[in-house]
Amino acid sequence: MQSMKNNRKTVLKFTAIFLFAMVLISGVGRMRVYADTPYKTYTIDGYGSINETMSAYLPVETITKFGDEALSGPNDLCVTNDGEIYVADTGNGRVIVGDIDGRLIKIIGKGTLAAPMGVFVTKNKHIYVADRDAEAVFEFDPSGEVLNKYTKPDNPLYGKSLSFQPIKIVVNDAGVMYIVCQSNTNGIVEISPTDGGTFLGYFGTNFASSDIMIIIQRAIMTDAQRAKMVSNIPSTPDNLAIDNKGLIYTVTRGDKTRTLKHLNIAGTNLFGDLDYADIPAAVTAGNHDNVYVVDQRGYIYEYNNEGELLYVFGGPDDGTQRVGLSTIITAIAADNSDRIYTLDSDKAQIQVYHSTEFTDLLHEALYLYSKGRYTESKEPLVKVLQMNSMFDYANMAMGRAYFQEENYEMALYYARLAKDYEGYSDAYWEIRNLWLKKNLVTALLIIVLIYVAVKVIKHLDRKKHILDRPRALIAKIKENRVMSNLGYSKYFMRHPIDGSYGIAREGRASWIAPTILLVIFMAEYVINKYLCGFLQKTVREGRYEIFSDIGLVLVVAVGLTMCNYLICTINEGEGTVKKIYTYFCYCLLPYILLTPVKFVLSHVLTTNEQFLISMLDMLILGWIVVLGVLAIKEVNNFKPSETAKVIALTVFTILIVALLIFIIYVLWAQVFQFISAIFGEVVYRLGY
Amino acid sequence: MAIKIKRMISLLTVAALLIAAVPAQTFFATVVTDTQAGEDAPAAEPETPAEEPEDSEPSERIDPSEWVTKADYRKVAESDTYILYLYEPRLSVMLENKKTGKVLESTLSDEKDDGTSNKTWTAYMKSGIVINAIVKATNTYQVDLLTCKNELKYTYKDNGFTANIYFSEYGFHLDVEVTLEGDELVVRVPEDSIKEDLLDSERYISMISLFPFMGYTYLDEQDGYMLVPDGNGALIYLDDKEGRYNSGFSQLIYGRDHGFEESKVEKLLWERYQTVTEANDVIAPVFGMAHTEDELAYLAVVEEGDTRASIEAHPNGVAVNYNRCFAKFLLRDIYVQPLNNSNSGTVTNAERDRTHNDLQVRYLLLSGEDADYSGMAVAYRNYLLDNKLVTVKPSDYNTRVDFLGTDREEFLIGTKAVTMTTVDNIEEIYGELQDAGVDSVLSVYKGWQKGGIYNLPISKYKADRKIGGTSALTSLIKDSAEKDYSLYLYNDALRMNASTNMMTFNAVKMVNKRTLKENVRAQVYDTFYYLLPNRAQSTLAKFVKSYTKKGVENLALAGLSDTLFSYSSQGSYYGRAQTAESFENTIADLDESTNLILEQPYAYLWDHTDAFLDMPLGSSDYMYLDEEVPFLSMVLKGIMPMYSDYVNFEANKTEFFLQMVESGVYPSFYVTYENSSALIYTNSSNLYSTEYRIYRDTITEYDKALREVAEAVGSSFIVEHTKLPNGVTTVVYDNNVVIYVNYTDSAVNVDGITVDALSYKVGEAK
Repeated sequence: MQSMKNNRKTVLKFTAIFLFAMVLISGVGRMRVYADTPYKTYTIDGYGSINETMSAYLPVETITKFGDEALSGPNDLCVTNDGEIYVADTGNGRVIVGDIDGRLIKIIGKGTLAAPMGVFVTKNKHIYVADRDAEAVFEFDPSGEVLNKYTKPDNPLYGKSLSFQPIKIVVNDAGVMYIVCQSNTNGIVEISPTDGGTFLGYFGTNFASSDIMIIIQRAIMTDAQRAKMVSNIPSTPDNLAIDNKGLIYTVTRGDKTRTLKHLNIAGTNLFGDLDYADIPAAVTAGNHDNVYVVDQRGYIYEYNNEGELLYVFGGPDDGTQRVGLSTIITAIAADNSDRIYTLDSDKAQIQVYHSTEFTDLLHEALYLYSKGRYTESKEPLVKVLQMNSMFDYANMAMGRAYFQEENYEMALYYARLAKDYEGYSDAYWEIRNLWLKKNLVTALLIIVLIYVAVKVIKHLDRKKHILDRPRALIAKIKENRVMSNLGYSKYFMRHPIDGSYGIAREGRASWIAPTILLVIFMAEYVINKYLCGFLQKTVREGRYEIFSDIGLVLVVAVGLTMCNYLICTINEGEGTVKKIYTYFCYCLLPYILLTPVKFVLSHVLTTNEQFLISMLDMLILGWIVVLGVLAIKEVNNFKPSETAKVIALTVFTILIVALLIFIIYVLWAQVFQFISAIFGEVVYRLGY
Repeated sequence: MAIKIKRMISLLTVAALLIAAVPAQTFFATVVTDTQAGEDAPAAEPETPAEEPEDSEPSERIDPSEWVTKADYRKVAESDTYILYLYEPRLSVMLENKKTGKVLESTLSDEKDDGTSNKTWTAYMKSGIVINAIVKATNTYQVDLLTCKNELKYTYKDNGFTANIYFSEYGFHLDVEVTLEGDELVVRVPEDSIKEDLLDSERYISMISLFPFMGYTYLDEQDGYMLVPDGNGALIYLDDKEGRYNSGFSQLIYGRDHGFEESKVEKLLWERYQTVTEANDVIAPVFGMAHTEDELAYLAVVEEGDTRASIEAHPNGVAVNYNRCFAKFLLRDIYVQPLNNSNSGTVTNAERDRTHNDLQVRYLLLSGEDADYSGMAVAYRNYLLDNKLVTVKPSDYNTRVDFLGTDREEFLIGTKAVTMTTVDNIEEIYGELQDAGVDSVLSVYKGWQKGGIYNLPISKYKADRKIGGTSALTSLIKDSAEKDYSLYLYNDALRMNASTNMMTFNAVKMVNKRTLKENVRAQVYDTFYYLLPNRAQSTLAKFVKSYTKKGVENLALAGLSDTLFSYSSQGSYYGRAQTAESFENTIADLDESTNLILEQPYAYLWDHTDAFLDMPLGSSDYMYLDEEVPFLSMVLKGIMPMYSDYVNFEANKTEFFLQMVESGVYPSFYVTYENSSALIYTNSSNLYSTEYRIYRDTITEYDKALREVAEAVGSSFIVEHTKLPNGVTTVVYDNNVVIYVNYTDSAVNVDGITVDALSYKVGEAK
């Protein structure tokens, strides 16, 4: 399953997000279970677009207080295996420890901490706190005594002029700290605990991305404009998490393609391009090799171990104050019974979500599937699919499971449903193989029979002229002008130079025959586009845009003919509109003749043999280009150098014409809008 | 010649380059403006109450010697249980329970004034009536009896009084009639008494709040709760909320007014997907306040003007430290008139005419043991029965099994049918269910019509060929009726498919004359219009005629039953009251010629339906709601059968099942014969789990269990609903049957009966 998503982001939109103002509220925790959720849960289908699904997680509890202690602008939380919740209570300068029932366990670092922004608790309950304003990382023992204080590394590699303002921290089993520092764009600071803190270097550095648009913009803009643009320095990770294998997850805002990264020890990203979360605020590892990312606005994303999106749920509070919606989320944690905790710094509360039966089944299936136990995973998968037959991730897994069981028909069905191209191809290969094994003899037999039949008929023809009457009929048809012109296109295809001469001098130019070819071309184009084999399909299943397809072909045909005609006449070419139209349409013959072959091949080839189709494509394209060039040259009676010039000019003219049409369209839209505004005003004044 | 042409080309090139540069410039300009827009736009702030205080100075606490006390009130009426007092200057009434001496006050008393609110709020709280005035279409002002100049005249009668009020500054006249009718207090503003002088022609009445502090309490001084009609019903406790909420419950009765909807900034996932589910509509025009400590409560019914009024219930901390609930009548609203299609030019207008309705709230007073939500439910049921707003219908048990016939998916040119359940399939399913012991079924057949479920409106009785055709469908309905399986044809008579219908002149236009569009973000059809109410009526009449002619009478109606809007048509404006009247007439006519069942009907349609489809079992999960109670089910149980939302799509099926047991609601399933994955490219792609074979066993299990409960209960009413501290809910019926429902995950013993974890028991009351 490939993740695709249309362009949807600009860095600039972030500004709008910070504007959701809400009065700070606090209160006591209480317990309720909800049957419905105020948010929808979505999943991603095989095309990367979104589908609604059954609720994956339900909001169960809201913790606003531990004992009588309310939170103030909290920024981070950490949940241990025994259910203790550690919150970096930034506004109160402390770390508060409580449990899910809202009981207060202890308070740590009161008086020591200035602005605790990040907190991490190790397996032996040592508490690491990233304090931005104290410019240090504190290590506390379980009783709350300071064990160590790590300040700015004096290693020159750290950067002399850089300040040390730690905001997020994780620690691995060896005690090595990974620290995100505010306004440090070099990456995650890696510090080992030896010698009171040794700077090991920067980790997981992001690289500045520059796409083609930005490059063009920069080239065109003035210095002043350039100065106004957002500077193109790499974005630093905003938050991080560590899984039980010691691998680091990072999330980065403003990065267009890699918001979530899964880094190994060497700092290499194990995930592909992931751009689901717009403003990722925090990340945490789950219990099933899964990972949760929370967007600042409250969208919670769950990914599997390969970085494929399973769910999105939650969302921003639209002012209606419904449970489970959020204002500004700063942290996320998961405990070992699949509860998710999100920390809302604006509402100063912790929202707890619990997985549903549906999610539990999916997690079980995922676990088995990721361990390669496909057949075992089928049982939970079947249940998942009963609850949601359109859950493509489960469909894909189901397909793979069937494949392993050698039930290729079912594997094929599920792979196609899930848009799992690889699985589809594999299953299809097997099915074809079986078919060939079974039918090879019959097929050979049929071929032999056909061969014999042809021989016999030819023999009879020679002896008794049985084919004379059909032959006469064909000859008669060929006498028809249109038919003869159609037939001539075949000659043109094989002998472009002679053929062009025919078009130019022998009256082979016409309107009807080329138009028939064009119509056939369109029909083949459309059929091939929508009904070709699944693996060759470039459009989504269930989507049809026939009219725009036909429109496109027509616009290209007319545009090419007209522009070419314009350029040819001013270069003293001999082509008329009719001749030019004729040769362009005749050029399409290789496509018309070879596409049926391609169409059939697309239905019988697997991914491994796709190169045959690519070769065919190349052949068609090459042939058409050669025909086109030769036709332009011969029909207009150009020299080679003239031909090149004319082709270049034609291309250029097409661009200009397109541009002109665009400008006229824009101007007309303005005029239209103006008229409609007047109309609206009149209607409004008249009161209708 | 050639040189000339070459020059022309070079000129053309330069021009083209210039032109090419222009869009680039515009592009950068746009980027910059975008940022500015982003910073300026207050992205969809939560709606603030109109009574936003303008001054922030807290008013001083009044000296105790100047307090208005009960001694300043005069007694105006008396019934067997209650005495009604009035303090004239503030139009403040007080109700006293004669037996206990406990009171309900309608305005904030000076004694309880904590002096922390500003002058505007204090005046708001101490005035028996508060009007929101629109001045020059853009400003709103609070008009009350304390801060605005007014002339008050009272006339008295045996059981109450009439206050004649004139706000001279604004030129607003109105009468408030208050009468004590036994255990009911009726507050009424007659339509013909409401007058606007239109002094400088720009001062209008926008909203009228009647007794906005009726039965208020201060912080947690009193145990109890407010009942709000969200979903099935929910309570807001009268405990100290510690300022956690900045807004309370404020919902228009019978749903939002689509005729006034503006394009608003929505927070969407990836700028495309709405992740927040719609909150429930207010189905019944009621709210309640219970002081459980004082054993005094009321359930208020908005009797007149309910089609354009909102229920307000605000816990302490929302602007002031008092818990209060009331009805706010909307007379005139502001709307935005766009002047062009790009919405770049707009004018804000006040409606030209106000709503013309009597405004009336009836407070059903409850005391003693009845002063709780069970008492409220009983009182409301009796009220409905006494006033003939409902008639008792047979409420025999049925399992509801709905079917989807066909939907459409795109194909090369146009669309093609995706057939999910044919008439033969239904016959097969019915046969199987019958063999499995399901004695009776109620089915709604959706997507039976020619062209599939979204080929709307349906103007004649013509079934899709793919499901088997009209005559097969007719005989299926007739045959299955004989074995107590009733199949209803589904008709959404409100919606019109924009892709298959070009008749926009039949479509409802909003108040600003723009066509009302419902965008559904779906694959095949993405826009729907609303049919004009008179067109909806004629289409329906035509449809029903061609339908009953064949001897088929079962009709399940949607759209008209759960939507209400203002609209404009050909220069005239129609309010929600007119729409409601029109829909009610349409439906009343249908009720005579068909067996009619309605989808989630609003209260004014309850008398016209044989069943209540899609009864919500939960609430909308507002943070300030403390408890969900099955209020509506308690009211309607025994009056008509109620059917739940579809079980298929519930994530927590066990809990949902128990809720059905608790509230006496019958289960609903939505099934298709084919696997639901076939729907993937259709508009129905959100039906992700419907295959009949998956649900066959669940249907028979639910049928067995719930039929047994329903048979024990029969057609009796619920008299008492209690949530015990040990997690068990008991529901007592008037035939002495008690249902115990245990929502906890351990067995609990109640009244000597052990109820297993996540289970229920049917018992006898002692």
